[in-house]
Amino acid sequence: MSYFVTYHWMWLAGAGLIGLGMGWIAMVQRGTGLSMLTMQIAAAILVLAIVLSVSRVLPGRFGYWLDLGLAMLSVYFVSCAIGSWLRERVIWRSAPPA
Amino acid sequence: MRTVIRWVRKWWPGLIPLGLLWIWAAWANTFAWETDLAGRAAAALKGNVLDQARVEAAGRDLKFSAAAFSEEGRQAALGIVEAVPGTRLVEDNTRLIPEAKPFVWAGERDVTHFTLSGNVPSPAIRGRLDDALRGLAGGTEVADRMEYARGAPVRFDAAAQLLIEQLARLSGGKVALSDSAVSLKGTARDLGGREAIADALKKLPEGFSVSENAILAPPYVFQANKDPVAATVTLSGYVPDNNIHSTIVAAAKRKFFNEQVVDNLKASVGSPPGFTQGVIEALGGLSRLSTGVLTVSDNDVKLTGDAFYDLAIEQIVADLQSNLPPGWHAKPEISAKPPASSVDSTVCQQLFAELLAKSKIRFESAKATIDRDSAGLLDRMIETAMRCPSAEIEVGGHTDAAGDADANMTLSQRRAQAVVDYMVRAGVPGDRLKAIGYGASEPLASNDTDEGKAQNRRIEFLVR
Repeated sequence: MSYFVTYHWMWLAGAGLIGLGMGWIAMVQRGTGLSMLTMQIAAAILVLAIVLSVSRVLPGRFGYWLDLGLAMLSVYFVSCAIGSWLRERVIWRSAPPA
Repeated sequence: MRTVIRWVRKWWPGLIPLGLLWIWAAWANTFAWETDLAGRAAAALKGNVLDQARVEAAGRDLKFSAAAFSEEGRQAALGIVEAVPGTRLVEDNTRLIPEAKPFVWAGERDVTHFTLSGNVPSPAIRGRLDDALRGLAGGTEVADRMEYARGAPVRFDAAAQLLIEQLARLSGGKVALSDSAVSLKGTARDLGGREAIADALKKLPEGFSVSENAILAPPYVFQANKDPVAATVTLSGYVPDNNIHSTIVAAAKRKFFNEQVVDNLKASVGSPPGFTQGVIEALGGLSRLSTGVLTVSDNDVKLTGDAFYDLAIEQIVADLQSNLPPGWHAKPEISAKPPASSVDSTVCQQLFAELLAKSKIRFESAKATIDRDSAGLLDRMIETAMRCPSAEIEVGGHTDAAGDADANMTLSQRRAQAVVDYMVRAGVPGDRLKAIGYGASEPLASNDTDEGKAQNRRIEFLVR
């Protein structure tokens, strides 16, 4: 797996940048975002994809594309979390004392 | 936790560019990744002994096909491919090379090719056999049609290499192995080659045995070429040893009085029984031709050329067929040379004198039987006599002075008569010939020395 990550590092870095940006923006976005039902459906799809990847059911190129997509998605989520956390820190510091 | 979920619910818009990036990454990387993965797998397999090894990549999966020479080798190669970094699954299409029963191998030689065929147990042995064959093939084309198979007998490579060396000794033929049974057929290139091959087969590795050795010896060839223009008789080919060599050359010098004997003979084993007698008889036939070629191949005698006159053809053929050793065959192809132009008596006398100056008509000791070595000289004398058809010829016999004078007179008369009879049988009219015995009455040299006596023993021709 380490060779797989090393080989695709530029693409994963791209996913990380998108994630950082999205996480940063998401903190000041109006609205509540996805509904809980949609979130649950998305989570179920994600779990299914992970199961398919781990069980190596998808053959050849489809398996490769799935692994690549999951790796990019993982980096995206981690980066989103970092972006959102950093933005929250900035907002908290700049907020006037109550 | 609630905070994190609140964050996550707002992250979905980023999935759109992420999805586009994923599609781009898949499009840009798939082929390059597969090439890289298959290349690294192939590189990792280098040094493993496999036949027809092939690695194909589809995404992170590898399809590995190869023929292995042993189960251990097959498992090891599979492990190597599975351990290539980045690999997810390996489709195992490996197999063991088939086992051959019996394990057969052959090497063949013809005029233009060396060919190796049959089974071979490994690339290393294949390489050694190919190298050995190319080493002895020189410029001859080499074809490798061997196929890998398991089940080779122990020390197969040593046996096959020894057999390849024997191919070099053949002009054409085949050496083969069937398990540990060796068979050979063909013709040895050189005399003694068959024996050399038989000796070499004694060094076959333990366990191998010769089931068939049908190597034929090459024909044992002796040739003589009589060239009247160069006045040479060239002897070539083989003789069994130095003694027989000397005997044959001496006989040739006696029979070919008018030509220089050029000796290009080589000694070699393998002569047919009766070789000396057969060759000397055949040389006698050649000595009676004005021009001709004698080829003795094993025990077949082929004599071609031109006799001095028509009746000589029958005599030569009859002599050859009756005097050759048992089992020998004569194949004469003789014609008569065109008659020479007529000359007058004076020239005829001169021609007789010139011939007798080069050689003498010889007889068996104290007998009136003409020595067969004198047949060539007599044929020339007869041809000369036929060139002056109107001349009468006196054939005079002379002896040395040793012994009783009356006996010498009788012997000289009988010897002169023997020559006349010989000439009459050859077609010279008897009324033109007259035999006279002079005994020791007309010596040419002193009878006190052996050399002088030898000079005095003679036949003279006098044209009247």
